[in-house]
Amino acid sequence: MLDFFTIFSKGGLVLWCFQGVSDSCTGPVNALIRSVLLQERGGNNSFTHEALTLKYKLDNQFELVFVVGFQKILTLTYVDKLIDDVHRLFRDKYRTEIQQQSALSLLNGTFDFQNDFLRLLREAEESSKVRAPTTMKKFEDSEKAKKPVRSMIETRGEKPKEKAKNKKNKGSKKEGFDVPLATSKAVPAEKSVGADNGVELSKEELIRRKREEFIQKHGKGIDKSSKSTKSDAPKEKGKKAPRVWALGGCANKEDLDYSSPTTNGAPEASLPEDINLIRGTGPGGQLQDLDCSSSDDEGATQNPTKPSAAKGTLGGMFGMLKGLVGSKSLSREDMESVLDKMRDHLIAKNVAADIAVQLCESVANKLEGKVMGTFSTVTSTVKQALQESLVQILQPQRRVDMLRDIMDAQRHQRPYVVTFCGVNGVGKSTNLAKISFWLLENGFSVLIAACDTFRAGAVEQLRTHTRRLSTLHPPENHGGRTMVQLFEKGYGKDAAGIAMEAIAFARNQGFDVVLVDTAGRMQDNAPLMTALAKLITVNTPDLVLFVGEALVGNEAVDQLVKFNRALADHSMAQTPRLIDGIVLTKFDTIDDKVGAAISMTYITSKPIVFVGTGQTYCDLRSLNAKAVVAALMKA
Amino acid sequence: MASADSRRMGNGGGVGGAFQPYLDSLRQELQQGDPTLLSVVVALLAVLLTLVFWKFIRSRRSSQRAVLFVGLCDSGKTLLFVRLLTGLYRDTQTSITDSSAVYRVNNSRGASLTLIDLPGHESLRLQFLERFKASARAVVFVVDSAAFQREVKDVAEFLYQVLVDSMGLKNTPSFLIACNKQDITMAKSAKLIQQQLEKELNTLRVTRSAAPSTLDSSSAAPAQLGKKGKEFEFSQLPLKVEFLECSAKGGRGDAGSADVQDLEKWLAKIA
Repeated sequence: MLDFFTIFSKGGLVLWCFQGVSDSCTGPVNALIRSVLLQERGGNNSFTHEALTLKYKLDNQFELVFVVGFQKILTLTYVDKLIDDVHRLFRDKYRTEIQQQSALSLLNGTFDFQNDFLRLLREAEESSKVRAPTTMKKFEDSEKAKKPVRSMIETRGEKPKEKAKNKKNKGSKKEGFDVPLATSKAVPAEKSVGADNGVELSKEELIRRKREEFIQKHGKGIDKSSKSTKSDAPKEKGKKAPRVWALGGCANKEDLDYSSPTTNGAPEASLPEDINLIRGTGPGGQLQDLDCSSSDDEGATQNPTKPSAAKGTLGGMFGMLKGLVGSKSLSREDMESVLDKMRDHLIAKNVAADIAVQLCESVANKLEGKVMGTFSTVTSTVKQALQESLVQILQPQRRVDMLRDIMDAQRHQRPYVVTFCGVNGVGKSTNLAKISFWLLENGFSVLIAACDTFRAGAVEQLRTHTRRLSTLHPPENHGGRTMVQLFEKGYGKDAAGIAMEAIAFARNQGFDVVLVDTAGRMQDNAPLMTALAKLITVNTPDLVLFVGEALVGNEAVDQLVKFNRALADHSMAQTPRLIDGIVLTKFDTIDDKVGAAISMTYITSKPIVFVGTGQTYCDLRSLNAKAVVAALMKA
Repeated sequence: MASADSRRMGNGGGVGGAFQPYLDSLRQELQQGDPTLLSVVVALLAVLLTLVFWKFIRSRRSSQRAVLFVGLCDSGKTLLFVRLLTGLYRDTQTSITDSSAVYRVNNSRGASLTLIDLPGHESLRLQFLERFKASARAVVFVVDSAAFQREVKDVAEFLYQVLVDSMGLKNTPSFLIACNKQDITMAKSAKLIQQQLEKELNTLRVTRSAAPSTLDSSSAAPAQLGKKGKEFEFSQLPLKVEFLECSAKGGRGDAGSADVQDLEKWLAKIA
């Protein structure tokens, strides 16, 4: 029934492996690791790879992973239990081997687990077989159905009466009185027993059982109420916190104020003066750094210690003492409140809500059962893990060396085509101009294709950019070669057709790069999305960049998912062209609320290629994962 | 108040240069038999001693005995690691964390090294490299020779990063590029891999210096690899880069046919 069951260390060593069928288990398991465990998608513990379903369990204390794989079409009910059993037995049996830090003991240890596993598997299979016909009973055992069913069994003779009582019970349940409910239940039960002597259970036994049940129920009620008050408190705290942060958010108004150096309405005649403004101050090829981010950064590197210190006086001391008493393994309850706080913190930093939830879930999975260091508190451990996960997410999954690829295309005598897409007003044209400036500075000639044939003024905007760029890079400086040119066919034409003509034109004229500007479109606008998908399938650009603004919150998820789906749905190819990279714009306007970067990379697992940070041509940056995470974790 | 004053004096005397008068006054006060002062001095001494001891231990710990195994995913780092330690073949999966073990070098001195196998996945490798690079005595960069043609750009990019990183360290580690999987018939030779990597790093130098600067200001202009204006060669680097061929899997799978003797020799040399 099972295809395979494998146990391996997080360091990558397979300790023991059971193979039900001859296929190798390495491929699917590697796929699981790469697309679930390393992408922080470890919320639920199953994963589908081709025809297989994989279920896994992490043992964070001993750094082990248990994976079981079976055919997707099977519904094996015993798998979860089997994993738990195997996990427990394996851990107990080989405790000495897996406890050590060094990999050597893992290597030298012999894990002869076959017989034990087969026994467990047999037991699990048998138990599932036994249980198979009595599935209904299992449902009846569930808490909700427990009461009426039992009373039905016990009082065969007085069914109608009991039913009425049950109804009454239900009514009282609705009112929410725990105690009267329990007593009213206990009394009729006793009565019914007294009336019905044919039942096998003796009277005392029944009474005892009922009493136990009553105590249990009562206790649970108390538990519940205490829990709810407990969970209320952190929530309140969490709610308070963002308000404080929101007030501190608008620190650098000067940075955002771009009104003074605008070149708006400046006559074309005064171009030479303009150039310094639009060019900015930085040297072209190697762009300067962002000042405000550097100050952000300094604060960020110091700050992570601050909140723990502030909280530290009481909670920290207590945690430290706890740690000193004995190394304690983390349980989910320990982390609950900290994770709640972290989640609210992430949401306050503009990470999309569902993504914050998924992230925290994954971090909890990764930490559960882990033994904390002697001097670390729960808060610091969780924070550390979250920080690592965030860096992991932002680390690009594919190479993003655009210049390298352009050089390759140059050698093959074909233009390198980049398509920009995104919703309205996120800055597609502006950043296209910035990127063309960067390419020009590096000595590549650029053809800009104006495929926004819809919005009024779109072509004119690009024409202005082209004129300015060609003033900065006149043909005389490049041996008489036109470095930048606009390809336009006016308004109302088919965008895909214009892009195709532009690419052909670029190939003939020997341009290195074609930048295709498309019209902004909302992700819900089906006809426009179809048009975009068509443009991309027809022209097969080398790079599809999604332009998104850093201001976006929960909307980021929707945008990216729908853009990707549109591209996938309308493509004929086996492996559809999706978004290859992200340009994050308006990054200078968000201070430290950099959550959009996380949301976008988490959904697509595609890199952020460029970051737009201002209005001049050299306000283009690449992303530094550490700086962003530091800003994100900053309290 | 008086005791605090004298404590400052005593402290200053212990650290500063002209401490004779302070010492005299200290002796006087000691002769007066003030128990508070004595206890303060003893406490200070104890604190100082612990600090010195702590520093000593810390420096001992980071005395560089580690050999890092880096490289792309599926290049055979973990298997190579296992082969060196046990000589046996083991199945492996993609690593999620590092694994480390002490390795006894087989030369006359019998020195030991700590082998550290780092995960090769894109989202993890830089984090782990950052964590362990300070303790590196040597870096073994493992390359999949069979898939080299396909992965050359990725290999070069990661190699560039590792080289720049390790050049920035205080004492530069020895560097070895191990061309693994030589048992596969289509595997490229070490010579060819070296040429290709040099060519690729040459272009990478250009594109990297032209890339837009990062949001972070702390990283200054990246160190220049090799000599400017010249084609890049590994011999131009301040650290010695060696190439060798090996095969962690061996021709017939799990039999002891692995070809890692060269690597063992190299490890013995640097130990």
